[in-house]
Order: sequence, then structure tokens, then C-alpha cells
Amino acid sequence: MTTRSDVELRVPADTAYVAVLRTTTAGLAARLDFTLDDIEDLRIAVGEACAMVLEQARADGDLHATFDLGSGELSVTVSADADAASEPDTDGFAWQVLTALTTRASAEVTPDAVGITLSMKSALLD
Amino acid sequence: MDHVDTGVGGLRTTREQSMELFAELTADDVDAARRIECRDALVHLHLPLVEHCARRFRNRGEPFDDLLQVGTIGLLKSIDRFDLDRGVEFSTYATPTIIGEIKRYFRDKGWAIRVPRRLQEMRMMIGTVTSELSQSLGRSPTPREIAERIGVTVDDVMEGIESSNAYATLSLDAGGDGSDEGGPSMLDAIGQDDAALEHVEIRESIKPLLEQLPAREKQILMLRFFRGMTQSQIAAEIGVSQMHVSRLLNRTLEQLRESLQGSA
Repeated sequence: MTTRSDVELRVPADTAYVAVLRTTTAGLAARLDFTLDDIEDLRIAVGEACAMVLEQARADGDLHATFDLGSGELSVTVSADADAASEPDTDGFAWQVLTALTTRASAEVTPDAVGITLSMKSALLD
Repeated sequence: MDHVDTGVGGLRTTREQSMELFAELTADDVDAARRIECRDALVHLHLPLVEHCARRFRNRGEPFDDLLQVGTIGLLKSIDRFDLDRGVEFSTYATPTIIGEIKRYFRDKGWAIRVPRRLQEMRMMIGTVTSELSQSLGRSPTPREIAERIGVTVDDVMEGIESSNAYATLSLDAGGDGSDEGGPSMLDAIGQDDAALEHVEIRESIKPLLEQLPAREKQILMLRFFRGMTQSQIAAEIGVSQMHVSRLLNRTLEQLRESLQGSA
């Protein structure tokens, strides 16, 4: 049992809704005073993570996003209901993109769900 | 066209059939009538791909049949432009063109979001202030810093940035200046930084796609992901705004993703 997330969003598991999650991510990152570079990187990363998760998502399922707001740090988890989910390909180009754009990226797979967590520390912390 | 098997399944895969047809279509010793047959056969063979692409745009207020029709125009264009020697699967090559054609159709129908004048001005102001602040701060500014400089709220700035993302559909095509000088030298240039990525499937699946990207898109992608430069640094290096870099990156990644899915 993890602690409650600061912001949660549930949308249909459909690429049409990815833009909503990207925009939400950007809005929250702006609120945390991330730089524009970081914000745009996060926006792209969330889009990539959603694309990876949606590949395995059940068509009638949900796409979940939870956002944890720290001081100068933002963590986003996107997950979807999936049948017989498998580990995302962490050797592929998409994963390379995720890790290049964020401070940390990890995948969580359970038998009926697949999720990716990204976090980014603000460039201003250094 | 009795000797052209356009049926699905059967003994030969779509891929093999299309390779053979393309080989014949481009051979020197084939007469015009036969060429037309081959082209027809190729179209029939790949109609399912058009359907697949068009399906993504269902429920957006346009009849599915119309989407199929414009998608097929994209397919025809791809068939006429395809070059076997590039070593790319035809489906990989055709998917972005088909999707592009469908998107253009929506755009021409006025579907793309119209950005109000107020937001267009905000967008331009954000662009100017962003480069000023990047200069004076030596790093990318935060939306708050931009907002304070312009004298508006952070929400106004974010709204302006969102609108500039929506604006992309209108301005991107005009964006590329088609300068080709970065072409092969970019791939040469990444040679030494590439070592850590040896294990990545990029060699097999991405490289042919990268080769097809316009020089500038390829350069931005390389600088961001293989050189680890920030969007601001890239913007300074190639002389466009950071927002433009962001848009180009987004679009290029989306294209790569669609191409990879199309070829899977």
C-alpha cells in the first residue's frame, strides 16, 4: 500500500487522450517552477510512456496517471489494464528516449496491468 | 491480371508479393500495360494498411469511406515514390505518407485548431522573452520567470505554450528550410558517441527510418538523444526557437513511432 498520490487522472485507454495527460504534466511542472526545457522534455516523455503502455492496454480499459509533486521533483506513473502484460522492451529506442528525457524511468508489470513511472528533478536544484 | 495473386494468405506473404511487384514495376523491360497491372495489384495488396491507418481517425466527424479514399491517395503516392534500394519495408515507408494524407485532409477541412489572435501574440512574446532570458540566465527559464518578465500570470504563459503546440499543424510544414548540408555527416558525427548504444535495436529498426528524415529533424533527434544536448542548446546551435525544437522533436518521435507500428 503506497501513500496517496497528489494528483490522479483516469482517461479511456485511447491515444486520443494522451494529449490530456501531456498537458496536465506540463501544467503541474510549471507549477513546480521547472524550466521550459524540463517541461517540454517531460511532456515528450509522458507521451512516449503512454504510447508504450497503450501498446498492451485492453481496448475497453482505462489509462491511469498519478502525479507526485515533491519539492523540485515530479513523478508521473502511467498505467493501463492489460491482459497477460509483459515487461516493456527496455532495450528499445522508446525506452532510450524515456531515460534520456527524465531523471529516472522504471516499468512495473503485474499479470493484469502495465505501468511506467518517470520522475524528473528540476534543473534548478543543482 | 490473372497471374497476379492479390488474395490474402496463400503461400506468399504480402511482403514477398509486394517486393516482386515492385521489382517488376521498376524493371526496364516491362511494358506499360503490365506496369499498370502491377501498380493495381500493389494498391489492392496494401488496402488493409490504408484501412488500418484510417481507423485511427474514426469518430472525428468524417465519414470512414472518405478517410479510406484520401488514405488511398497517400498509398498511391507512396507506391509511385517507393525505392526498393532504400532497404526499407514498403509498409514502413507508406504509413507516414498515408497518415499524412489523412491529416492533411482534416487540416484542409479546417479541423486544425484555430489559434485566437491574443494567443498568437502571447506565443510570439513568449518566444522572444524565452530567448532573452535564456541568454541572461544561461539556462532555460521557468514559466514563472517568463510570466514576470511579460507581466502576465503563469497560467497565461502555459496557455500560450499549449496554443503553440496546437499551432504546430499549421506552421510546421513551412518550418523545414530543406537545407541538406547536415545529411550524411550527422551520422558520421555520432560514430564515437554511439558506443554505449550498441546493444540498442536502433541499428536494425531505426536507422533506415532516420535516413528518411529531413536533415534538420534528424539532426535535432541526434543532438537530443545521442549528444544529450538540451532543447535550448539545440535551439541555439541550429538557430531556431526552443519551442520550434520541441515541436520538431515531438513530431519526429511521433513519426518514428507510427512507422515502427506500421511495420510491425
